[in-house]
Amino acid sequence: MTAPRDRMTTGAAAAGLDGHDLTARILVVDDLRSSRLLIGSVLMTAGYCDIVYAEDGAEAVLRLREQAFDMVILDIVMPRMDGFEVCRRIRGELQLDIPILIQTGVTEADRRVQAFDAGASDIVSKPINAGELVSRVRLHLDRRRLIRRLEAYRQRMQDELEAAQDMQMSLLASDADVSGIVVPRGASVETFYQPSNTLGGDLWQIFPVDETRFAVFMVDLSGHGVSAAINAFRVHMLAGGLGALRADPSAWMEALNRGLAEILPVEHFAAAFYGVIDPAAGRIDYAAAGWPEPVLLQADGGWQALDGSGLILGCSSAACYEARSLTVAPGDRLFVYSDALCEDFDRPHRSLPTAGVAAAATAALADDSRDFAGAVLDQVFADRGAGARGGFRDDMTFVLVTLEETA
Amino acid sequence: MEFKSSREGDDLVIALAGTLTFDDHENFRAVVTLITDTDTGMVVLDLSALTMIDSAGIGMLLLANDRGAKQGKAMRLRGVTGHVAKVVELSKIEQLIPID
Repeated sequence: MTAPRDRMTTGAAAAGLDGHDLTARILVVDDLRSSRLLIGSVLMTAGYCDIVYAEDGAEAVLRLREQAFDMVILDIVMPRMDGFEVCRRIRGELQLDIPILIQTGVTEADRRVQAFDAGASDIVSKPINAGELVSRVRLHLDRRRLIRRLEAYRQRMQDELEAAQDMQMSLLASDADVSGIVVPRGASVETFYQPSNTLGGDLWQIFPVDETRFAVFMVDLSGHGVSAAINAFRVHMLAGGLGALRADPSAWMEALNRGLAEILPVEHFAAAFYGVIDPAAGRIDYAAAGWPEPVLLQADGGWQALDGSGLILGCSSAACYEARSLTVAPGDRLFVYSDALCEDFDRPHRSLPTAGVAAAATAALADDSRDFAGAVLDQVFADRGAGARGGFRDDMTFVLVTLEETA
Repeated sequence: MEFKSSREGDDLVIALAGTLTFDDHENFRAVVTLITDTDTGMVVLDLSALTMIDSAGIGMLLLANDRGAKQGKAMRLRGVTGHVAKVVELSKIEQLIPID
């Protein structure tokens, strides 16, 4: 037989006039009939009407298995099974977190510690004082009700956040979709995305431009959490509507900026990179808005930084975004990353300069034993505090584009 | 983040110290209030003692500038160095808030 789950009574209808929950079911355990009846009548007078009695510890455990209680009031010295053992069973095998109020005589001072060790929530002295008993019962039932409400609320928020995170992850294209765009155009792409505290404001997208070119878009909405995530959805929608401008990074970025300037509140903005990659012509055209310098890791072992500067998006609808370009060769790689990779917020002076990012990425590429994402994160975070690698304080996003070697 | 305000001639100078990040939203309200309440036409934010700023911090500077502008007050930044200078340079906010 499985133990019934402890029950929870909630709702305004269940609460008494003074806000206490009088529908609570209370188990009174005492081998003396007179004691049981005394406690029962005190509780009834206080308005509690769902009271169940047990004559000893063994019967108490039986009752607790049969039905759910909100509280137990327990004597210590009883035949068959004493109060300490009942406590241990409630916390142990029955796995219940209901309050347990132990009644003990004043002469049994050393037993108080023993009672708490066994899992008691509180102690009342014998002989029972009606006022004290009722106060303590109310206190523990109220506390339990509040904790349950908070737990339920927290769980609901957690569920909502996870549902939102799933929705956000679904904005990101699958590996197969990405390959379908980039492979026929002479490149391969690896991506990595991990949001901070379950919801984030980073987003990457890959768009086909024409038969030979594709575009890489990365954006980081300011702040994090729910507002950043909602703004990421807005960006995704806006970016999807800019199809006609895909070949022109400057015009594309300016259009996105105008859209964001209309919808983002003044203290919110976005940093972004948009690059059109043309492996056949050996050229990348791009525009940036306050984006950490992407690096081109050249096939010959050298590297080159791209210019990530530009007015952050959403602040001024008149902002211009310069089109920049660079030439690339087969085997070159473009590494674009959000600031979470290079910024060390605990020790800003230790933040990784672009050369450090290039070195970490180069070392990660040389490591054939594992995937690039894991290797580059280990390279970067080897140097930072323990735990920095596990849960990032900011969204961590990066995209690595590899231009196919010519056969 | 901590701040101190003083008068320099006809300007209100607010010196920010420490780090300006996502966790300073509540703190920064007092800075915005100083800016909206002042009777000076020019507000200078001195960032020389600011060691670090993140994207939320940049957002707060933009907010302060916007609230001031709505009341006809001009805002400038000065003492932009180190990590703060790097972030400010990348985000090109001097196009919105002049930097001395």
